[in-house]
Amino acid sequence: MRRRDLGAAAVLLAFGLFALTQARGLRFGTVVAPGPGFFPLCLAAAFSLVSLGLLVRALRMPAGEARASSADAAGRAKVVGTLGGLMVYALVLEPVGFLLATFALLLFFFTALQRQRWFVALGGSLVTSVATYLVFKVWLGVNLPAGLLSF
Amino acid sequence: MDLFTSLAYGFSVTLAPANLFACFVGVFVGTLIGVLPGIGPVATMSLLLPVTYALSPTASIIMMAGVYYGAMYGGSTTSILVNIPGEAASVVTCLDGYQMARQGRAGPALGMAAFGSFIAGTLSVLGIMLLAPPLTKAALRFGPPEIFALLLLGFTMVTYLTAGSKLKAVAMALLGMLLGTIGLDPITASPRFTYGTLTLADGLGLVPIIMGLFGISEVLLNIEKGVEQEVFETRIKGLLPTRDDWKRSAAPMARGSVLGFLLGILPGIGAIIPTFISYALERRLSKTPERFGTGMIEGVAAPEAANNAATGGAMIPLLTLGIAPNVVMAVLLSAFLIHGVQPGPLLIREHPEIFWGVVASMYIGNVMLLILNLPLIGLWVQLLRVPYGILFPLILLFCVIGVYSESGNVWDIVVMLGFGGLGYLMRKFEFEPAPMVLAFVLGRMTEESIRQSLLISRGSFEILLTRPIATTFLAITLAVMVAPLVVSPVRRMLRTVPLEEAD
Repeated sequence: MRRRDLGAAAVLLAFGLFALTQARGLRFGTVVAPGPGFFPLCLAAAFSLVSLGLLVRALRMPAGEARASSADAAGRAKVVGTLGGLMVYALVLEPVGFLLATFALLLFFFTALQRQRWFVALGGSLVTSVATYLVFKVWLGVNLPAGLLSF
Repeated sequence: MDLFTSLAYGFSVTLAPANLFACFVGVFVGTLIGVLPGIGPVATMSLLLPVTYALSPTASIIMMAGVYYGAMYGGSTTSILVNIPGEAASVVTCLDGYQMARQGRAGPALGMAAFGSFIAGTLSVLGIMLLAPPLTKAALRFGPPEIFALLLLGFTMVTYLTAGSKLKAVAMALLGMLLGTIGLDPITASPRFTYGTLTLADGLGLVPIIMGLFGISEVLLNIEKGVEQEVFETRIKGLLPTRDDWKRSAAPMARGSVLGFLLGILPGIGAIIPTFISYALERRLSKTPERFGTGMIEGVAAPEAANNAATGGAMIPLLTLGIAPNVVMAVLLSAFLIHGVQPGPLLIREHPEIFWGVVASMYIGNVMLLILNLPLIGLWVQLLRVPYGILFPLILLFCVIGVYSESGNVWDIVVMLGFGGLGYLMRKFEFEPAPMVLAFVLGRMTEESIRQSLLISRGSFEILLTRPIATTFLAITLAVMVAPLVVSPVRRMLRTVPLEEAD
């Protein structure tokens, strides 16, 4: 546990110090008339202090046992795949359009992450993307980007 | 207006077709997501925020509240039938509820959970009616120093009651508040941390943050460990508890309701802690404590009553002070603000239709839930058979569409995914997301109140010590900080609950 906590605390501390440098750029004002920088600076300072506290505490913890098995790695790959797929989806959503992008995203989920049989994956992706399009765009009137299919 | 005229007025508001429909949609969706694993009331309520633009303020709040207590109902169904708590607040229900199901008594367990929730819900509505008006009068005397002291007390409670490391909770609260300062300064309207971009001038959106932290990250965790659903193969017959069940459950239910309601009022408690305390209390009081965990109906009735009553209790600080005591109420608060209604001491006077309408809708919603849950239980059980492989792409897709539809801006999807990843890591490293979101929402109020206090006092922090109400809040805050002695007996009681069985 020690190394994990250590890493987390270090990241938080780094962020706190970064926020501190950024908050210094804002006008602090005086205590009588606090400016825009007053509250952020106090927060960033407090946050850095607490992160430092977490770091010190992690350092004083006894070194933890080694863990991480292959099952963990497979699960983690799925998480990274899901998040990565969604991130790509967000970036191509407007240029490519909702229907195509959603179809591709679902196909990716069903094949790469779940290993469904190809016709299940294909059919499922097709039905789901068209159905959500009909429900949200046509029925509820949500403004979904048409992209390449705008004709 | 006395109480009963007010309540009658509330019913006349709720019974208007539009509000009645909003109430139904709320409790229906609430039950649905309560049953489904991987999406909870907080994510759903924030998903519905954009939908409420089209509704009247009253209908929106009625619907949002309905989602929340509907989810409390639905969550118990999965706890009992598959030993998977649909919501965190029904973790304790698994202990005895699932055992009852295995003994072929799933029906009475589900029935008692529904009745317990109904009775507690009704009692807590009574509590709101009695407590809110006098509290409102007191709250009208609050100025910035009092608000600041109260918020400080709230944050202290939230961090001290969070499961796990207190220091980590403090860090998350500060981080949330820090993220909340992005955008325009609330007093001078000068940009902060916007780096010249227009997107950041509005600050980070609450909806993408909540959807990320509570929706996406939950799905990611489920994908990683894999959800195994095994619906207990049994015909559910006879939902009505027997006379003996009632006799055994009456007192635990009453105690659970009162406990849940009172704890729910306190900031930072939420609906989860009362269920644990109530379960532990019943075990203490029972003549046969060793039989808890083997299918005792008391172990279902008491915590189910407690979590519903806590919902009612949590409405009190929101409706009377305009302060959100937990994340769910924070979403509800933003639903108010979307419609330009500021919940707080003036709410009852300026918007009686919202206050009494919402109160009355909780009675009607509870009746609807009873009707939805008991005869339709078979339908909800069928839902549990939908494989997670099909469910999770849909949940993710709905989150994306929901966030995008609110702003029409891809940036919000990116923010949501970022916080989804962050939320996933936070759970892995044992950081709680709740203090962060709460602080994010209340940060602006905190900043305004301290800066206004300093303006009033010409820069002297003494103003917090010279006003009796503010000083009292500060004294309680200090007491909470230095008195782990008060907290430890409660903790010891919590520890007696065999949590590992709930996994």
